[in-house]
Amino acid sequence: MAHLVIESLTKIYERGKVRALTDVSFEVERGEFLVLIGLSGSGKSTLLRCVNRLVEPTTGRVVLDGVDVTRLSPRALRRTRRKIGMVFQQFNLVKRSSVLANVLTGRLGYVPTWRALLGRFPKEDLERARRALSRVGLLEKMYARADELSGGQQQRVGIARALMQEPELLLADEPVSALDPATSHSIMQYLEQMNREDGVTVLASLHFLSLARRYGTRIIALKDGRIVFDGPPGAIDNAKFKEIYGEDAEEVEVR
Amino acid sequence: MKEWLFLVRRRFRSWATSLLTWLHGAYVAFSQWVRLVRPRLISFLFDWIAWVYLLYAGFSVHHIRTSPTLIWRPEEKFVLPELSPTGWIVVLLVTIELALFVRSFGVSLGQRAFGVSLAPAGGSGTRVAFPRRVLHFLASHLALASLGLPVLVNPERPWHERVAGVVLVPRARGASRYRPWWTSAYALTAAVLIGVTVALGWAVTDIQLGALVRDVGKPARLWRGLSRPDLSYFFTPHPMETDSIFGALVKSLFMALLATVLGAAIAFPLSFLGARNITATGPVGRLVYALTRGFFNVFRSIESIFWASIFAIWVGFGAFAGTIALFLHTIAALGKLYSEQVEHIDPGPVEAATAAGGNRLQVIKQAVIPQVLPPFLAFTLYRWDINLRMATVVGFVGGGGIGLLLKNFKDGGEWTQVGAVIVTFAVTVWLLDFVSGWVRERIV
Ligand SMILES: Nc1ncnc2c1ncn2[C@@H]1O[C@H](COP(=O)(O)OP(=O)(O)OP(=O)(O)O)[C@@H](O)[C@H]1O
Ligand SMILES: [Mg+2]
Repeated sequence: MAHLVIESLTKIYERGKVRALTDVSFEVERGEFLVLIGLSGSGKSTLLRCVNRLVEPTTGRVVLDGVDVTRLSPRALRRTRRKIGMVFQQFNLVKRSSVLANVLTGRLGYVPTWRALLGRFPKEDLERARRALSRVGLLEKMYARADELSGGQQQRVGIARALMQEPELLLADEPVSALDPATSHSIMQYLEQMNREDGVTVLASLHFLSLARRYGTRIIALKDGRIVFDGPPGAIDNAKFKEIYGEDAEEVEVR
Repeated sequence: MKEWLFLVRRRFRSWATSLLTWLHGAYVAFSQWVRLVRPRLISFLFDWIAWVYLLYAGFSVHHIRTSPTLIWRPEEKFVLPELSPTGWIVVLLVTIELALFVRSFGVSLGQRAFGVSLAPAGGSGTRVAFPRRVLHFLASHLALASLGLPVLVNPERPWHERVAGVVLVPRARGASRYRPWWTSAYALTAAVLIGVTVALGWAVTDIQLGALVRDVGKPARLWRGLSRPDLSYFFTPHPMETDSIFGALVKSLFMALLATVLGAAIAFPLSFLGARNITATGPVGRLVYALTRGFFNVFRSIESIFWASIFAIWVGFGAFAGTIALFLHTIAALGKLYSEQVEHIDPGPVEAATAAGGNRLQVIKQAVIPQVLPPFLAFTLYRWDINLRMATVVGFVGGGGIGLLLKNFKDGGEWTQVGAVIVTFAVTVWLLDFVSGWVRERIV
């Protein structure tokens, strides 16, 4: 059984009546590293956010491990969300809080409400936070304020936060768009490591085709909210590239 | 069992959705109609009321200035002059004529306020020929005589405009930029309106500059007392009072402190209910949001001095009444400030905490509160400042503390004591200002 099944997903934003996604369907096997590409506004963020229902789909189904996510009660949805890690373009850290506090946010789905309210996370979670931070090489920054960190370091905190969830699926919305090329690769390698070593299925949207080719096991291209390509990285030739990005586009390398 | 429940729910939801859609459609059509009616009907009402006000205010100024009983006699009850029924009819007709005249032959205040002016129908240039303006003026009378029916029925192209071959269009920006203001009707009207209002205000508030110099000697005792504050009752109470100045000051300080701390404690949880981005997610949430904000707005607009008068009767004169008064106002004032702060947070962390499976309370604790706490503290300190000042005013009407002492000394004519209270209070406020400013700088 496929890990994630998207069935004729359509999203129309009420505000502005924008059709962000139209009848999008595909299946993702466990352990795949699926990369979403497409021009700005093609619906990549919307698609990723429909998976954990940060955005409510208008019609269609999202089936994770045989469970229809779109039908879950709020409570069940929160339980499902903890299996889905997410990494963001703007990192989405609380800038004033410590790195540790930000990382612990990843455990919210697991701890009782009173623990979160009092800020008293269990010992195992603190231990888990240490492990996650040392995995991304930031153990010594544990008590630093998040806004004292560089962009790349902040994204590593974002990854540590996702690691805390012990996710089976990782959504990454343009995780490296705010970073320079060298840092981009280091971040992508952390995602690759999660994918290869922990068997986490990864769904990442990327701006650069070269990055998509380098890290993806499969690529899906969106254009105006529809799938225009679905296949292995090698299958995107020049003609396909022009179809996805428009006639005037030139491919740019990120090394 | 579960299945049918689900179906019923879905059925209800689709029914509710279509009702909402219909309501929305009706609302859109209505606001479209209002948009068309507004520059014609409402702006005429605006003009007309302006002219009525102008005429009546001018008449009142004249009346007050020439009436012998009203001048130099502040104890005389002030009444605006009355018009006879015929007088009112004359005013009615004259003002309607004036309004219609200006609307047809220039840009009236109402037209200007709604950003429209007359143009020839069919878009041939922008200048409207004089005969067309005369026609518009005459036809407007008929439109008005039929209670504005042409506008209400066909707001886009009312009958009187079609007859005159003109149309009301959005004013071109800067069209009359180089014309001196006194040549445009609306600017002239506005200037006269302001002039008449100042004249009326002057007459009504009984401003007599002469009174400032006529009795210079009268307040001399007062000035003398104030300039020689007597601090002998600073720690020991005055024989007629229960509190020393220091005791009363401490009372006021604690009134302000308690009102601020307790008010902040209540305002804190309420502020999340009053934040659109946290609460207004579903229909129920939107209702809660609107109710909370409504509560803040209503209670903020009722001044502490009013609550103090009420609670002074309810629970008796004294610091308790004053504290409740300050407390109520603090909840609303801080609640509103807090809510707005919550609405301005970075939504990113909220998204991240939600994606990790946090419930609303957890998300607020983990992603919202760290962002808003420093500004909340700054607002709260600022509020303590305000509350200390307000504590004096509140004391005056029965709220206890240093305000009450001030009032008693003033009523007893003990000006040296009044001076002592004022000096003490001013120094305290200055010190507090300094300290809270210093703390605010540290935390934000
Ligand atoms: N909250 C929203 N309300 C209304 N329209 C939205 C909203 N979010 C996105 N859209 C619209 O939906 C479409 C798809 O947006 P989306 O953010 O999913 O694209 P994207 O592929 O992620 O683009 P980018 O590369 O710029 O991030 C766009 O046309 C966008 O304007
Ligand atoms: Mg996006």
